[in-house]
Amino acid sequence: MSARKDVLKQQDIIGSLQPAIHVPQNWNYEVEPDLYKAYMHPPHDVGGQFDVPVRYEEKEEEQWELDTYVTCEVLGWRGLWNSEERRRRADNDLGYTLYLGIPYYGRWILAAARMLVDKGHISLVELIEKIAEVKARHGKK
Amino acid sequence: MSNAHSHGDGSEHPAAPMVEEITDFEVLEIAVRELAIEHGLFTADDHRRFTEWAESIGPAAGSRLVAKAWTDPAFKARVLEDAVAACKEIGIDWAEPTGFGTPSDYMNLRVLEDTPTLHHVIVCTLCSCYPRPLLGMSPEWYRTTNYRRRLVRWPRQVLAEFGLILPPEVEVRVEDSNQKCRFMVLPMRPAGTENWTEEQLAEIVTRDCMIGVALPRPGRTADIHPVQKARRPVKRTSHPPETAHERKK
Repeated sequence: MSARKDVLKQQDIIGSLQPAIHVPQNWNYEVEPDLYKAYMHPPHDVGGQFDVPVRYEEKEEEQWELDTYVTCEVLGWRGLWNSEERRRRADNDLGYTLYLGIPYYGRWILAAARMLVDKGHISLVELIEKIAEVKARHGKK
Repeated sequence: MSNAHSHGDGSEHPAAPMVEEITDFEVLEIAVRELAIEHGLFTADDHRRFTEWAESIGPAAGSRLVAKAWTDPAFKARVLEDAVAACKEIGIDWAEPTGFGTPSDYMNLRVLEDTPTLHHVIVCTLCSCYPRPLLGMSPEWYRTTNYRRRLVRWPRQVLAEFGLILPPEVEVRVEDSNQKCRFMVLPMRPAGTENWTEEQLAEIVTRDCMIGVALPRPGRTADIHPVQKARRPVKRTSHPPETAHERKK
């Protein structure tokens, strides 16, 4: 696949993730009060929303998920963040697309990375370099 | 057929293929952990100690608590009065593993007693708060937006989907957990268990019974759900690798 095809494919995926594409939303001159209230509703506060019956499944816990849980908890243990920051701000305040689209522990580890950078414990450059190094170590393209 | 697995409930779906390449989240997890250790934010030993605790927890502790409460009225009274203190009597210390509990689980537990006319079920609509020290890690379905969305509004329908159909005269009370207070359901001891030992009783108190989506009954010793197979390794191969920083010491 050409690079241009890759870019266009990625753009299509991103475009399809725009929230509520059945409602015209961009280029708004004003926002009605009800819509404003809906926009301001935090994505994680889902109690009472409509959904369809599904088959409730268990999931085998993968090693990285346990490691993520422990890393986030140990960051709390050593005072890097507290429970409210981790949950409400970092895990939950991601916007609908990320909140609903990313796996449960994916949100946790994204939150941890963002917190360490935001608080200046590590630099973004360090993080990017470390990610590249880990990928190279594990033979990931 | 080779790419499908059975669920024990007659249904099956294709097993997820194992992903060969390390995923982006695994990469990020390794990167964050190693950077945190290199910067001295925590030590590899902190991570190992917490992991050992996390691997030690599970619903068996909750089962023991319920079985003891069924057989010892004085203990049951203590459970309902101060559940965290009562947990110590069955060997569960909510202060583990840090001395002040886990950073996410406040040392505050309330046990909800079912009666012939009242049934409790727990949820966490905002995230997935769960009494980890007593029940271990929450099941995947408990974390889904679907369960969190629907249980508080259509509890009887959701319970029916779990196979639990309650008569109209039984009130259903949904308790929404939060980061400051965790809940666990103390179900009623079923008929036909007279003269059973605590060990026998504990066997029928499954995790689902303590969440409130099932009722204990003789012969029911496991929660049967479809299982989403892991696509990446489930077992630890090594503890956090030594970092360059640590090797220098």
